[in-house]
Amino acid sequence: MQNRSTTDAARDSIFQSIRANLAASVTHDALESEIHHEAIPVVSSAAPLVSEQSLVQWFKESLEAVDGHCLVVKNELELTATVSDIISRLQETNLRARRIAISDAPEVESLVKALHVDFDEVAVTPSASEVFSFDVGISCAQAGIAETGTLLLDSSRERHRLVSLVPPVHIAILEARQIVGTLGEALSQLRQTEKVSPIATLVTGPSRTADIELTLAIGVHGPQELFVVVLDT
Amino acid sequence: MNHVTSETFDQNAKAALADSQLRGALRNATSLFGQRRLAAASSLTNWEDLRQQARAIKDDVLLHLDRYLEQFVANAESRGAKFHWARDAAEANKIICDLAKERNARSIVKSKSMTTEETHLNVALEAAGIQVVETDLGEYIIQLAHETPSHIIVPAIHKTKKQIAELFTEQLGIAPTDDVARLTSTAREKLRDRFATADIGISGVNFGIAETGTILILENEGNIRLTTSLPQVHIAVMGIEKLLPRFADLDIFLKLLPRSGTGQRLTTYQSFITGTKTDPTSDGPEELHIVMLDNGRSKMLSHPVTRQSLACIRCGACLNACPVYQQIGGHAYGSVYPGPIGAVITPQLMGLQKTQQLPYASSLCGACREVCPVKIDIPRLLLYLRSEITEKAPKGGLGERLAFKFWRSLMTRTWAYQLSARVGRVFQSFVVKDKKIGPVNALGPLTAWTKARDLRPLDRQSFRELWHNELSKTKN
Repeated sequence: MQNRSTTDAARDSIFQSIRANLAASVTHDALESEIHHEAIPVVSSAAPLVSEQSLVQWFKESLEAVDGHCLVVKNELELTATVSDIISRLQETNLRARRIAISDAPEVESLVKALHVDFDEVAVTPSASEVFSFDVGISCAQAGIAETGTLLLDSSRERHRLVSLVPPVHIAILEARQIVGTLGEALSQLRQTEKVSPIATLVTGPSRTADIELTLAIGVHGPQELFVVVLDT
Repeated sequence: MNHVTSETFDQNAKAALADSQLRGALRNATSLFGQRRLAAASSLTNWEDLRQQARAIKDDVLLHLDRYLEQFVANAESRGAKFHWARDAAEANKIICDLAKERNARSIVKSKSMTTEETHLNVALEAAGIQVVETDLGEYIIQLAHETPSHIIVPAIHKTKKQIAELFTEQLGIAPTDDVARLTSTAREKLRDRFATADIGISGVNFGIAETGTILILENEGNIRLTTSLPQVHIAVMGIEKLLPRFADLDIFLKLLPRSGTGQRLTTYQSFITGTKTDPTSDGPEELHIVMLDNGRSKMLSHPVTRQSLACIRCGACLNACPVYQQIGGHAYGSVYPGPIGAVITPQLMGLQKTQQLPYASSLCGACREVCPVKIDIPRLLLYLRSEITEKAPKGGLGERLAFKFWRSLMTRTWAYQLSARVGRVFQSFVVKDKKIGPVNALGPLTAWTKARDLRPLDRQSFRELWHNELSKTKN
């Protein structure tokens, strides 16, 4: 049985040790600052990233550099056609794309209803035990970061934790106005909310590893194909 | 299990040097990572400022660690996380085994965590009859082979794909192949079942954010996301030093860590986990347990030199840059933390008694300090630990100590120094060959020392003499 009082005793003695050791360091610290006059670091930011191109174009280039696919569409009609096209092409490969798992975003649900392609099954947010049998996951994303080609998935705003992760293919819908320039902007967006979301994930390209002889292999545990369709109306 | 320990570093290193396959693999890996790190660092115009800021943030955290810990714990607890405190490895393992037993857990999936390697958690879990599977590809390979990681970022860096293929054929029954994609997809398929049925997921932590109670974990494969979202219970193990004060500090550390580790701008996935889910119908674990491990860390706070060891963000850049690691790899260090940072952390965690040789596993060239994203002065730490070793247990015999006393008296008296230089100039002719003092057998205790070092002979005139002579010329 877990013994609450043991871990409380451990907590107290760890804090005691931290405080005692910090107190013991005071004299050494004083001597140290006499020897080393470390300059106080200047808080500078990176040279402003001036980009000639639009955020959408910048995002696309960054994502493609990490083996993701990025398609830009102008309206809902094009969106439906593009996603239909992605799925029908995948169906010709060994990725099959016959069983589709979707998040609970209403946009995704209406998109899937409009798709003009054959498939065997669509399920909204399948459970942890069901989700492994799906070929494609479709969700929205809550933000995009142009400098790195990154998606921000905030699971307090959409239930996409498993559909974006378990199926071998992830298709994400991103609105152009949700793309920010830098990581810093995305982080402050995540922080701004009253309470930080219980789960937020940054996704940059498909799953990858280089654990065997440093040879790059795409698609280890997460999706091996990542499509981001940017809706730029 | 291999039984290499830090005590036998010298022998371990010699054995590693004789392994040409290992050295080839190390050469490839360390030079590739070195180049990628350099390219990634120079893609930012303010790299040096970022390093300074990162270090200043870490110094602030460490100098006020008790307060930041209280803040972190209060915030994470208010969001549903449960905290457990472990003074040492045994306590941490017991906490985790107890959590597993209370929940009748049969199967555990684990993502890569150096902290749980440090506590040898898997051994403890297996002894308690609980199945645990490593899900990071490199760690999975290592676990199948019953070995230990040899690099912080690439655990199986010492194995060739041929060895891995043979291992998979033998253990997993696949057809022989040397195709990396096929080996990778085999691991994916095998591990999917384990993810689907696991009762508990165990992960490490890269950063804990005090102001929000968030834990952040970085990865490329997706196994950490699976580990932390499929099982109903998530146990995160973190060292007490892993905190950052503010969410915004991540902007700095997320620029430094992936670039220093793998040369990526950002790793594929960053999971930000703040407490437990609020909506019971949504995906993800119902319980989040955070195990806070001391295991010798708080002791390092007692001096500014040792304290900087706790600023380490485990990027592995110093391993790749180290001429010693490049030749001998990680296993020779006999510890989960190899390379320069291992040579300073291991003795502090395990005590100097059994790790005496590690602080000497360095030429003090300073490459590690140059690449460290948080500017840890590792050479200074090595010297500090060396002096601790000699102060506690003076090395060498009476002869050596007398010799150094004599040396000191020569060096601290001008006349004695000048006299010895004159005497040296006369007698060095016996040992100078090819304009250098090479290996000499007749030098008694100095034989071993000169075996690995060539000395420059003394010049006919010292700088002082030259200076003096030139001055008298201009006066004339």
